[in-house]
Parts: sequence; C-alpha cells; structure tokens
Amino acid sequence: MPRKDLLDIASLEREEIDHLLDQAVPFKELFTRSVKKVPALKGKSVLTLFYEPSTRTHSSFEVAAKRLSADVTNFDVGNSSIVKGESIRETVETLQAMRTDFIVVRHSRSGLPGAIAKMTRASVINAGDGAHAHPTQALLDAFTIREKFPDPTGKRVLIIGDILHSRVARSTSTILKKLGLEVAYLGPGSLVPKVGPENTQRFTNYDEAMKWKPDIVYLLRVQMERQDVQFFPSLREYHKLYGVTDERLRHIAGEGLYLMHPGPVNRGVELCDAVMDYERSLINDQVENGIAVRMAVLYWLKPDSQD
Amino acid sequence: MSSLLIRNARIASENETTLRDGDVLVVDGVIRSIGTALTAPEGAKVIDARSRLLMPAMFDAHVHFREPGQEAKETIATGAEAAINGGITGIVMMPNTSPAIDSPAVVKQVLESAAKHSRIPIYTSGCVTKGRHGKELAAIDGMRALGVKMLTDDGDTTGDPAVLYRAMQYATEFGMFFASHCEVPELAGPRALNEGVVSYRLGIKGTPACAEEIIIDRDIRLAHAAGAHIHIQHVSSKVGMETIRWWKQRGDVRVTAEVAPHHLLFTEEDIGDYDTHYKMNPPLRTKADTEALLQGLIEGVFDLIATDHAPHTPFEKSQDFVSAPNGITGLETALVSLYHYFVATGKFGWDLVVKRYSAEPRRMMGLDPVPVEEGKPADFILFDPEAETTFTTDFMKSKGRNTPFLDKTLKGRVDLVVLGKEVLLER
Repeated sequence: MPRKDLLDIASLEREEIDHLLDQAVPFKELFTRSVKKVPALKGKSVLTLFYEPSTRTHSSFEVAAKRLSADVTNFDVGNSSIVKGESIRETVETLQAMRTDFIVVRHSRSGLPGAIAKMTRASVINAGDGAHAHPTQALLDAFTIREKFPDPTGKRVLIIGDILHSRVARSTSTILKKLGLEVAYLGPGSLVPKVGPENTQRFTNYDEAMKWKPDIVYLLRVQMERQDVQFFPSLREYHKLYGVTDERLRHIAGEGLYLMHPGPVNRGVELCDAVMDYERSLINDQVENGIAVRMAVLYWLKPDSQD
Repeated sequence: MSSLLIRNARIASENETTLRDGDVLVVDGVIRSIGTALTAPEGAKVIDARSRLLMPAMFDAHVHFREPGQEAKETIATGAEAAINGGITGIVMMPNTSPAIDSPAVVKQVLESAAKHSRIPIYTSGCVTKGRHGKELAAIDGMRALGVKMLTDDGDTTGDPAVLYRAMQYATEFGMFFASHCEVPELAGPRALNEGVVSYRLGIKGTPACAEEIIIDRDIRLAHAAGAHIHIQHVSSKVGMETIRWWKQRGDVRVTAEVAPHHLLFTEEDIGDYDTHYKMNPPLRTKADTEALLQGLIEGVFDLIATDHAPHTPFEKSQDFVSAPNGITGLETALVSLYHYFVATGKFGWDLVVKRYSAEPRRMMGLDPVPVEEGKPADFILFDPEAETTFTTDFMKSKGRNTPFLDKTLKGRVDLVVLGKEVLLER
C-alpha cells in the first residue's frame, strides 16, 4: 500500500523499505541509457520548499522528478512572502490552491514536514527537518550498502561525528538496524548522547571503536552552524581525535573498509584530502544512488485525491 | 435564593479519610446546620444529593488568564467560567500578561475587569521585576496596597540571583511571598521538552531536569538567607521533589511547593509524534519522575496542587511542535482527572484532594479555608463519582482547547457549585 507522505524512517515497515530499494534498481539502470527519462509522473507537479541551504539534496530531487517527467517548481523561499512574516499554514494553503501533487520540504525545525503533511492533500516528502529525520538520505545509504553487500545482515557500520545534531545519523542508523545491520556511534562525549539512541554501541575513543571491527566507516559533516554553545574546543582538536587522518586512512585501507559521507565534506576536519581518492570511498555512489531512490519514492507515494 | 437544603450528601474534609453522611442547610450564604433529616425552611431550594460528594470548592493558585493583552487565548470572564465548570471558586493569576502585571495600574485594571466579569474571586500575583525582565524591581509596595501577596516572574526564572535576593529582603517585610518558575535559561532548549529518549528521537534539543533542580535549590537558598517565604511552582522532576523535601526536613526556611496534575499523569512518551497537547514548561519527564511526584504529594512534600492553566488558540497549538507555545489548560479537567486516576484507583483519598487543592492554596494566599462546617460560608461543590465527563469543546468554557483530555471521557462530574448565596453551576 502506497503512503501519502514520507516523513521519517521509523514509521516504515521492512517490506516498504525493501520495496523502495528494489524499485530504485531499474531507475538506476536508466541512467546509463541515452534517454534517461520515463513518463511515469507526466502531468504531475513537484514543488520544492527549501528553507535551509542545500546543494545536493535539492538538485537530486529536481533531477529525480524531471527524470520521471514531472513538472518541478522551486518555491524560492528567500524571495517569498515568508520573509514578510507569512505563516507556514498560509504558505501551505497557497500551495494547496495550486494543486501541487508533491511538496519536498527541508526546514531547520524538527517536525515541521509532519505538521505540513496534516495541512495538505499533497504528498509531503521530508528532505531533512532539524535534527529529526532525513529519510531519503537513509534510503540512498541503505541502497549504496546493499550494492556492496547484497545480504548486509550482521554487517557493522560505525558512524562518526556529531550524532546529537544529525538527522542523517538518526535516519540512517534506523534504516540500517531495520535491515539487520549493527550500528555504533563515535564522537565527542558532548555530541554522542548517552540517553536516546537504542541498540547502538557508543564510543568516544577512535581506537576503541576500531576494535569493534566495522565494515563501513560513515563520516558525518561536523556542523558548527548547529551548535549554540561549544561542544568541543576546536576543529583542530576534533580532527586529531575523530578525523580520518592519513595514518587512519592507511589502517582503514589495510582493513578494506568502505567509507561513506552524506556530503558536503569538511576537508581537514572529519577527513583528510586523501579520503576523496580512496578506492573504497562510496561518496560518489551515494550521490548517484540518491537520484534513483528519490525517483522510487516519488513513484511510490500517492497524494490524496485533489478533487 | 435565601436558603438551600442539600439532602443525603457524603461530606469530605481535609482532616478525615472517611466521608460523613448528612444534610447541609445553607441560609443567607452561610452553612446554618449539618445533620440528618433536616427540614427545609419555607421556600428553600432542596437538592437530593443521592449520596454524591459534598466538599469544599477548589482553589487554583496558578493560572494564566491572558488579560490584558492576549484575549484571543482567554479572558478573565472565560477563565473564571472555566474555573467554575471545574469546581473551583478562587484562582491566582500569573503576571505574564501583556503588559505584565508589574505595576499598581495593571493590577487595578485586572481587578476591575474581574469585579465586572467574574463570578468568583480573582487574585493576582505581581511581577518581581519590571516586565519580567529580571533587571529592575517592579512596584512592589504599590501592588501590595491593592492586595497582591505573591511575587513571581512566572514563565521565566528571575535570572539574576542578586536581584531576587534583594527583592526577597525588601518584600518579606511587607508580608509578601515569592513563587518561582525554576529553569536555568542557558541549559534550557528552545522549546519545552525533557532531555532524554524523546528529545533525541524527535531531534529537538531538550532541557535536562537539572536546569529546573538548580533553580529550585538556588531560590530556596536565597529565601533561607533572606528569611523569605518561597513557593516552588510546578515541580516536574524527582530530584526537584527530593530537593524540596530535604529543605523542608531542615525546617529553617519557609518553603511551599506545588505539583500540577499533568506532571503526575503524563510522561515525555505521551508526546508521541510531536503532539503539542503534551508540550508545557517545565516539560513532561519520565515515569520515574511521575512516580516520585505522586509519592511527594502523598507524603506532603507538595503543599498544593495547581494546574498552571495555560490556554492558547487552536491555531497556535496546530503549528509544528517547536513553534507551538508552551502550556495546556487545566481548570476544567483537574478535579475529574484527579478523581479518575488517583481517588478512584485508591492512590489517595478525598481528604488529600480537599487539603491540597482547596484548603492549603487558600492558606498560602492568607485566606481562610472553606470547610463544610456549621457557621462557615457556603463555598462548596457536589461531585458525582458515578457520572462521567466528556471534555468536548461544547463542555469547556475556556477559550483554550489545548488539553490532552480533549474529547476524552473520564469518571466523575462536578454537578453543583455554590458560593455564598449563589448557585454558580448546577448540572
């Protein structure tokens, strides 16, 4: 049964996740053809509403919608009347009047896409809300891991960085655990909560975490902009304690571990330059797969009747 | 109505665990006699209580009536009717109106509106500091002269301890006392949510319980040093309750404390998927906290129950969790929910309800309690434990519909509210 909205990973059933990941496979195969477009959503309209800056997620959704032949409108938040103090409800009512079929929303406020979903008949896709959820990132991560490990059950993923403020950590670890993988978190004690994460190992020391023998090392962007107070003394100290330095990269390469990152990367903070050329880096796969899984999501969701 | 006879009531009091059967005769607003088979005077209104409970009317020492300034949420008129609907015949307003109640002029405005629009006595607290900004002292003696007894910057903590300390030294001499909303602002999240499992899951920065506990301890220490009476508002955490118990056991500072029904009944888990009807400050915490708070109420660590009735418009509460304002209503649901969840289940008796929600809040405000006794003013309610109440929007008189009990049905119903010569409510 298709859903109206995609707001988080936690509410998805295992079968739904498998369906979306399977559906993304033929969409990805399209990319190698000379004509990359299918008429699946011809005549449908997709509106993107990004209240936070985004390069790859925004363009990934746009490309995905266009490859399904949907009409895409980017609601320019910066120039809209939102800056004049219009409430979210008024904006959504305006979009409702335009009979938009899909609304792709990103906002710094956790829970806002869910609130919008209740106000509109359009399908709402959460493209990242605060520190809450980023379900399409989780799907593309799971897809990427499944390409390398067709049966990923029991594989171990170590997520390193600012867990506290990361919607990627929440959604990606949720989907991985639903798929039978094991997840551990590594980062400064101030950024890896002791209470909250469930069924997740917690490390604050890099060497201890490596003894857990991960198969995949997943680096998060260190987000200074989300920190209202200092959580660690300096980026330099962070890099020294938790960054993938040249020396640590040699060890990772020696063990044959895969490396992932949701982008955009901070060179010299969570990773060193050499990581970008590492042969088992999946960072570019993640970008390409992002389009395929977003096509699968758009194809799967069903807006309420607009009649 | 010159006289009223209520037959076959079961009378509750703060001092007796058992209920007393009897008839109650009220003449000219005073309880003339209590006994069996009393005869009705000529022309008396007679009500057969059919074994319903007759008890002192409740008194809520912590409500937000939003007047002046935010009348779309609540007015003194609608708030007072909500109180009556819940079996309450007296309330204390918090001063976080707009403008704040920080001067004799605003106190006067509030009391004049109350005299015009309210059928029950309205008391108001006053701010400790001008505009609740925590900097300059409000016009303390000017407010006292108009009857203000409680000083509080409720909604926020008086941030600067030196300011609060001086205010305590000053106002204690006038017989005033202080009520504290306890929260270290630097430790608090942007919106009310306990730091823990749920704040992590929802991705919203939470407020750790220690943010509240630090100020509970700080403000009691300040009162201890200044010789002031400090009242701790809406305690939400186990360690907060234990901190108050520790100070009370020392016995060398006048400290009182209140607990709100929602902190006894709900936990952070009830927020579920961003339900703003469970968003208030201090936030709902864990099961261990609710259990400790109930224990504190039974032991007497909490002197009173108060609702922190905080009405907001449906639009405001329909926003996303972060944007929606803090607070839920409570006046109309408090007594029924206390009965449904605690009295009916044997957690505590009616004596506790009468003591903590009627007698003690009145005493704190320097008022006489209103026991159902001969010679006392008639100020009581009839409560039917066999009936039910469904909290529909039609039932509720408050402008706020922001309650977790909206459209829910609980055991118990307030059937009659009598104040002096007036029957304020009869169902």
